[in-house]
Amino acid sequence: MNKFLLEVKNLVTSFSIRGGLLAREIGRVHAVNDVTFSIKKGETLGLVGESGCGKTTLGRTILRLIEPSSGSIIFDGKDITSISREEMRAYRRKMQIIFQDPYASLNPRMTVANILSEPLIVHQLFTGKEERKKRLLDLLDYVRLPKDALNKYPHEFSGGQRQRISIARALAVGPEFIICDEPVSALDVSVQAQVVNLLMDLQKDLGLTYLFIAHDLKVVEYISRRVAVMYLGKVVEIACAAELYGSCRHPYTRALFSAIPNPDPTIKKERILLEGDIPSPINPPSGCYFHPRCFNASEQCSKLYPPVTLESQTHEYSCFHPVPPSC
Amino acid sequence: MQQPSLPQSTEDRILQVKGLQVKFSTEHGPVTAVQGVDFSVYRGKTIGIVGESGSGKSVSALAIMRLIPNPPGQVTAGEILYHGKDLLKASNQEMKAIRGNKISMIFQEPMTSLNPVFTIGNQIQEVLSLHQREFSKKDKIEKSIEMLKLVGIPSPEKRILDYPHQLSGGMRQRVMIAMALSCRPEILIADEPTTALDVTIQAQILELMKKLQQEFKMGIIMITHDLGVVAETCDQVAVMYCGRIVESSPVREIFANPIHPYTKGLLESIPSYDSTTGQDKNRLPTIEGMVPSLHNLPPGCNFQDRCAYAKDVCFGGQGGPPLVVNELDPRRKVACFYPLPYKEVAKS
Repeated sequence: MNKFLLEVKNLVTSFSIRGGLLAREIGRVHAVNDVTFSIKKGETLGLVGESGCGKTTLGRTILRLIEPSSGSIIFDGKDITSISREEMRAYRRKMQIIFQDPYASLNPRMTVANILSEPLIVHQLFTGKEERKKRLLDLLDYVRLPKDALNKYPHEFSGGQRQRISIARALAVGPEFIICDEPVSALDVSVQAQVVNLLMDLQKDLGLTYLFIAHDLKVVEYISRRVAVMYLGKVVEIACAAELYGSCRHPYTRALFSAIPNPDPTIKKERILLEGDIPSPINPPSGCYFHPRCFNASEQCSKLYPPVTLESQTHEYSCFHPVPPSC
Repeated sequence: MQQPSLPQSTEDRILQVKGLQVKFSTEHGPVTAVQGVDFSVYRGKTIGIVGESGSGKSVSALAIMRLIPNPPGQVTAGEILYHGKDLLKASNQEMKAIRGNKISMIFQEPMTSLNPVFTIGNQIQEVLSLHQREFSKKDKIEKSIEMLKLVGIPSPEKRILDYPHQLSGGMRQRVMIAMALSCRPEILIADEPTTALDVTIQAQILELMKKLQQEFKMGIIMITHDLGVVAETCDQVAVMYCGRIVESSPVREIFANPIHPYTKGLLESIPSYDSTTGQDKNRLPTIEGMVPSLHNLPPGCNFQDRCAYAKDVCFGGQGGPPLVVNELDPRRKVACFYPLPYKEVAKS
């Protein structure tokens, strides 16, 4: 049996930039650029990075909601990179996604019962009337919503409750793997904690595997066993959560951590302030993509993209001049 | 034991909000968005107003600027004393002279608060034309370049000709700050200034605001839901819940020893990344339930349904607990019938 549920190898997703008279292709932007990682069954991989670094595109490419340009996606031992749409549909039953914005991802004109039945209709599951009703009630129970929610519309719920409906919808078809695309970013702190706990409970009860995408490092660290850090379409560092937070090596990861405001006014830590903005992925810098903002950059960095360095069994990074491993 | 002295003298007080009440009329009847809110802004100091969405923090700020849309909103009680003068009684003419000039505001969304069809230079100059009538056109251009330089925008002479869409989110927020500060205001109201930004950019903007505050000796009202931002930038904090201030305290004390159960809950529900990172993680402590609707507030304390310590009087009909000064530390106030034990916080 394969111990990895999902393996992503050298995945590239690029979009064409069109312009000129006949909307010809005038360039390509590599939103996901040569990304390799794997996720074990029952594990949570966190994916962090700033806006525009390609986290969401990566998530959607894995589900083939966006077609990859090259590389391979292996789900449960089977290469799904180029299987037909029909075959892919069967895999969609096993792979689901929860979106960031619970206001935009639920159809306002459908009742909760309709929203939750739709995936069951598509995949022809629980077809009997009684059977389906029971499934819907089970789903509500999973996400701790009351039974009378079934006949309500999304606008009757708060943000946190809507996110619970989204989770229930993703669970409807009994998936093994769920991509959580910033599921708590739009929620208030106290509600955020409730949803994070719910996701962790469901993982334990149903044996789910998560790819947890977020820009909030604290939430990611909390929920994930391993964390990957992305910058401009590339994974720059990947490690066990504890290892990454305790002893990150990539200067970008270090800067990212030091930028988080610490909810303790007594700690005045030394902050690494990064200069400038994230460059455009249309025209990435030469060599290491991070070198124009990096405090450790040398001449070499502007010429070559650094190869992957193995720090340990579970920790790899791409940098010529890593920072010392003490945070 | 020596009584801790009050931190700021009244001379440095620029703004004092007293018993502010704001009501909105809605389809389902009137709601009180802000109820009996008191706080003060001191020169060179930052007061943080924290709370979840709908707690009334932005409405309080808009009330200071007299920008509550009427109808449906109305300030129904209270005073907003700016150097002793009640802004609620000021004429529109007087308000115009204060707004943007003495008290400025920056908003959360830097994209929607800049006008997309004017260059940024143009927009900064507009502020100057309104408040600095004596400036010639050349003065205004020079001043706008100076302001952009001050907020750290590279090659400002060229940038003043740019339109907002040509700038990144962080740059746009810098432009907003440049606009807000172009008349050297005494008070800057920052309504979630970094919520829409990435963490590395957030760190840049917060650092910039701190630097400019020292330079201009401004009082800042920092409205945010992020307790990390509060800890980094504020001197004083007011925590709001359902339109009321439930706890108000100097920043070190509130983080070390929250007295209101809601404050404690909020602090605990932040996942902390430097805590134990073993494989078997504990559940995050949460505040059960959700914020009640303003249409349907419970009698007694607004927090009763979600509070682990609530009993008898909390559910009573004699109204919520008043905000009272702590006997042991007059700088701290809490609105709770059963506050958590007070501990003295050691000075650094």
